Amino acid sequence: MSATCRTIFLAVIITVCSITSAHGNQSWNDIVAKASGQTVYFNGWGGSAVINDYIRWAAKEVESRHGVTVKHVKVTDIGDVVGRILAEKNGGRITNGSVDLMWINGENFHAMKTHGLLQQPYTQLFPNYKLVDTENKPSTLFDFTVPVDNQEAPWGMAQLVFLYDTAVVADPPASMTDLLEFCRVTKGRFTYPAPPDFYGTTFIKQALLELNTDSEALYRPLDAERFQDITKPLWDFLDELHPLLWRGGRAHPKSAPEMTRLLGDREIFISLSFNPSEASNAIATGELPDTIRTYVHSNGTIGNTHFLAIPFNAAAREGAMVFADFLLSPEAQARKSDPAVWGDPTVLSMDKLSSEQRALFTAVPRGIATLTPEQLGTVILEPHASWVNAIEKEWLQRYAR
Amino acid sequence: MNISRPGKLKVFPYLTLTTFLLPILVGLIFTTIPAFGYLPAAGGSEFGFTPFLRLFSHPSLPAALRSTIFSGVTASIVSLTLALWIATALYGTRLWKLAEFSLAPLLSLPHAAFAIGFVFLITPSGWLLRAISPVPSGFTHPPDWITAGDPWAVALTLTMILKETPFLLLMVFSGLNRIDVKRTVWVGRSLGYHRLRIWTRLIIPQLYPMLRLPLLAVLAYSLSVVDLAYIIGPSLPPPLAVLIDRWFNDPDISNRLVGAAGAVFLFVITLACIALTMLAELAIKRAATDRMLNGKRKSPFESFIPGARFFAGGLLLINTLSLLVLLIWSFCGIWRFPDFLPSLYSLSNWLRHGEYMLEPLGVSVVAALLSCIISGILVVGCLENEQTLTQARLVSISQRSLWIIFVPLLIPQISFLFGIQVLLVTLHLDGTWFALVWIHLVFVLPYVFLTLANTYRAYDQRYSHVGTTLSSSRFKTFAGIKLPILLKPILFSAAVGFSVSIAQYLPTLYVGNGRFATITTETVNLAGGSDRRIIAVYALCQFILPLIAYLTAITVPFLMHRNRQLMRN
Amino acid sequence: MSLILQSVQIHLGSTPLFKPLDLSVPAGTIATVMGPSGCGKSTLLAAVCGTLDPGFSLTGTISLNNRVLNDIAVEHRKVGILFQDDLLFPHLDVFGNMAFALPAGMSTTAKAGRIAESLASAGLTGFERRDIATLSGGQKTRVSLLRALLAEPEAILLDEPFSKLDEELRSSMRAFVFEHIHQVRIPALLVTHNTKDSADGTFLQLR
Repeated sequence: MSATCRTIFLAVIITVCSITSAHGNQSWNDIVAKASGQTVYFNGWGGSAVINDYIRWAAKEVESRHGVTVKHVKVTDIGDVVGRILAEKNGGRITNGSVDLMWINGENFHAMKTHGLLQQPYTQLFPNYKLVDTENKPSTLFDFTVPVDNQEAPWGMAQLVFLYDTAVVADPPASMTDLLEFCRVTKGRFTYPAPPDFYGTTFIKQALLELNTDSEALYRPLDAERFQDITKPLWDFLDELHPLLWRGGRAHPKSAPEMTRLLGDREIFISLSFNPSEASNAIATGELPDTIRTYVHSNGTIGNTHFLAIPFNAAAREGAMVFADFLLSPEAQARKSDPAVWGDPTVLSMDKLSSEQRALFTAVPRGIATLTPEQLGTVILEPHASWVNAIEKEWLQRYAR
Repeated sequence: MNISRPGKLKVFPYLTLTTFLLPILVGLIFTTIPAFGYLPAAGGSEFGFTPFLRLFSHPSLPAALRSTIFSGVTASIVSLTLALWIATALYGTRLWKLAEFSLAPLLSLPHAAFAIGFVFLITPSGWLLRAISPVPSGFTHPPDWITAGDPWAVALTLTMILKETPFLLLMVFSGLNRIDVKRTVWVGRSLGYHRLRIWTRLIIPQLYPMLRLPLLAVLAYSLSVVDLAYIIGPSLPPPLAVLIDRWFNDPDISNRLVGAAGAVFLFVITLACIALTMLAELAIKRAATDRMLNGKRKSPFESFIPGARFFAGGLLLINTLSLLVLLIWSFCGIWRFPDFLPSLYSLSNWLRHGEYMLEPLGVSVVAALLSCIISGILVVGCLENEQTLTQARLVSISQRSLWIIFVPLLIPQISFLFGIQVLLVTLHLDGTWFALVWIHLVFVLPYVFLTLANTYRAYDQRYSHVGTTLSSSRFKTFAGIKLPILLKPILFSAAVGFSVSIAQYLPTLYVGNGRFATITTETVNLAGGSDRRIIAVYALCQFILPLIAYLTAITVPFLMHRNRQLMRN
Repeated sequence: MSLILQSVQIHLGSTPLFKPLDLSVPAGTIATVMGPSGCGKSTLLAAVCGTLDPGFSLTGTISLNNRVLNDIAVEHRKVGILFQDDLLFPHLDVFGNMAFALPAGMSTTAKAGRIAESLASAGLTGFERRDIATLSGGQKTRVSLLRALLAEPEAILLDEPFSKLDEELRSSMRAFVFEHIHQVRIPALLVTHNTKDSADGTFLQLR
């Protein structure tokens, strides 16, 4: 063999070895075998009864198929769990951690990655990972512009949508400036959760992206010198908007679910959500009246992905992987996207599915208040994480005194 | 009379102290160290004041501090005043018995569950406004008024007053047992004094020392409560305790240092408020002593006394309405403004969640039973030891140091739970039943002690003296005479302990490490969701458990002593 | 100045506790009412003082110095009382306890003077600042009486005031109390089950 060929051959061998040696040459069958009998503690937000029900279903399936017991540990704030894992690492507990799988994204993922709290890359081992639409859904590879690097598995898609009550609003505003106009005419019927709540921050990011002329800067790391200049349109907008908000801007809802309640109570006429099927789902459960519909802004709204991650010291690592893989399966994803169940959009690519698998998705009803993918329009990417912090701080400085 | 040596009972104060000293000390230390910059996992490796600097330069701090201090101090003062006013007005009347009877259900309604119901009463889309809409108010949509969540923390303060007044009233009941109220009033009246002056000059000065500790506990709680503040407090910015909780949960891990600094700061503020309260007590005593002896028999405010009935009634009414509204929501299918009652009823909320609730209910009940039984034994042991020491005119350091058990009530939970979590994780004790029951004990025991102490000490020792001469066994006398006589107060304070354990949220979270889902953690979790119907179902379950405990505490002695008139006091 | 009871009877529900009572207590004398336990002695005092428990009802007339007391509130009856438990207020010192009984509008010097005088008459000079808890049984009884008398009552009731004192102390206390009452010349009603405690005035057995 020539020297070049040998080098290439060696390089290939080394590359293959280094990828597979990450888990000591474990094949998926090994993992499934080891997972049987394990108990997986899945930490995720427990505030929604419908989501809890879905997880219960998934747990039952995984139990009967693979003998893995899944316990849903309900948390109010996943940042709490990050802190717990940090405390474990600090206390020297590098095996047998209390968390096996967690539902996270964004800043929390960033924190865990920075502090080395995640497993070494593993999602490439999942059989169902191949079906993920990484090409058309870049947010599955970059979580708030932080590279995922196979350290978390995409679970569902989120896009900022607005909900409105057709009984009182004929023509919903199609942009931030229109929204401001709407609030001038109908005072006190719109609001957003106060940052640092996730939804509140996203609303502000959306406003910034819409009102700002130099959006490129927002996808690069924070430019402290130009911060005030770039964000000026946002603050001008909010200064005008706040007195026209619900409660005159003196109180904000504490979370998005509270906003859904306000919408149902007719205290506000426009609300927001990250789940395009939220309205349909809420109508199905009776929380919202059936006059509620969804809309987006004409130039697109922010979208991202939410993930499942396995901490570095997970006790039931294999079980967690099996469960996460099941949640990625077409069957589970199709059921998840059904508005009567949850309504959370799938991360899978229809092109990569077989025709039977695709049929699972087409069988799912759209939901009375859900927009079609075309109607959902453009998905705007999240700006760089460093901007988020700065914007939150500035918001607190100006409005939370 | 042969008084046997305190010997075996000595173990109780020691046991009780070890249960407390260690966690409190450790918790405080491990929370204070990060406050000064040292938390390696968060990238903080040098001591310094940076976390405090960041804390004080945070834009929300001044407003958060204002609402914290306003709500905490006002709620405590008003609750105390109301409790004393109600006692002054109602003591000795038939309404007093009614008040005593209604305390049990009032106390069993947990703070968070009540707050959820209360919010729904007073919001513009809430029940009160639905009652008058659309006729005669003319509202087809809820008006944009600010009630719950107001930026001045008035709603929060009101909620705390509505929950703390029954507790302080319970302490008043308990304290009045130690004073011969009837004859003091008799003497006072024979000297020509009218009711209000008798109470303010003769009875309350004797009563206050027994209320001091409960008052300070109420103050510390009001300054540091997280779940109430989250449900009904201001949002822009929220009170300090909520800010601290947020920092501890922040994805930006370096904010945990700021959280620790905040926890230390809150602790200092609590201490300062406690110190001010003690100073105020001294100042009032000094100023009042001369006034008290001015001989004026009737107060200009005498005619205001009956007004307390209005407040007592209001308290009862608002609590009942809040409970009622939760009940309605739990059976509700669809309920929109401005309907006064649901347009569609449904059993599905209960049916669907019935089986899911069994496990959290089970965990809650087991933890609560264990902590109330253990603390019951410890408290009775310590009080019995105290009696024996008093009789033998002995003093022991461990008995004297028992005040330490009240320390957990005076320190904000969030100021030392963080440190305890670190300790438990290092010892691999986190997420165990042992750790869970133990941390519940830390908060349950002081309340059991507080509720039982006065009545226990008021026990007429002569019963036991006679008993020992008859049976010549101290244990037989204790079990056969003293316990049955004190059965009702003991069971009642156990019920108080049971409810305290059920209502614990942060401790279960920090110590349980996700292994323990109690009915309370489930309720608070769901309270962050949007479906009021399910929140109501869980909140009601949270309420039923302590209610059963209180009813048991009242019924069992009633049945046992049903033929003993003297026992039914 | 006399205390007159006319056909006084107290009922618990519909049952009378004792036969109708007629009693006249002239000023400066002490009438003794005796009876077995449970016969209603203390209840009788409560009736005269005005603090009858709700379950009891009173028939007959009680008058003091030609004022009918039946419907007058306790605060206005000007009837003092002394119990077997001293009932001194623990949060006030001796001075405070006694000053509490003085009428309004007295200057501090006047108050101090009256109290000093009163204490001196009981052999307790200099006791003003003493803590109640440090007093002996006899001293407590004396201070209680002095306090009751400082309020200048028009009659005084004594509810077995000596029963908690030991034998030796009893006789000296009895003498002290009776003498003071004689001095201020007000009618007194003493209730006891111990014949030795009876005073020199009318003696009545409750049936």
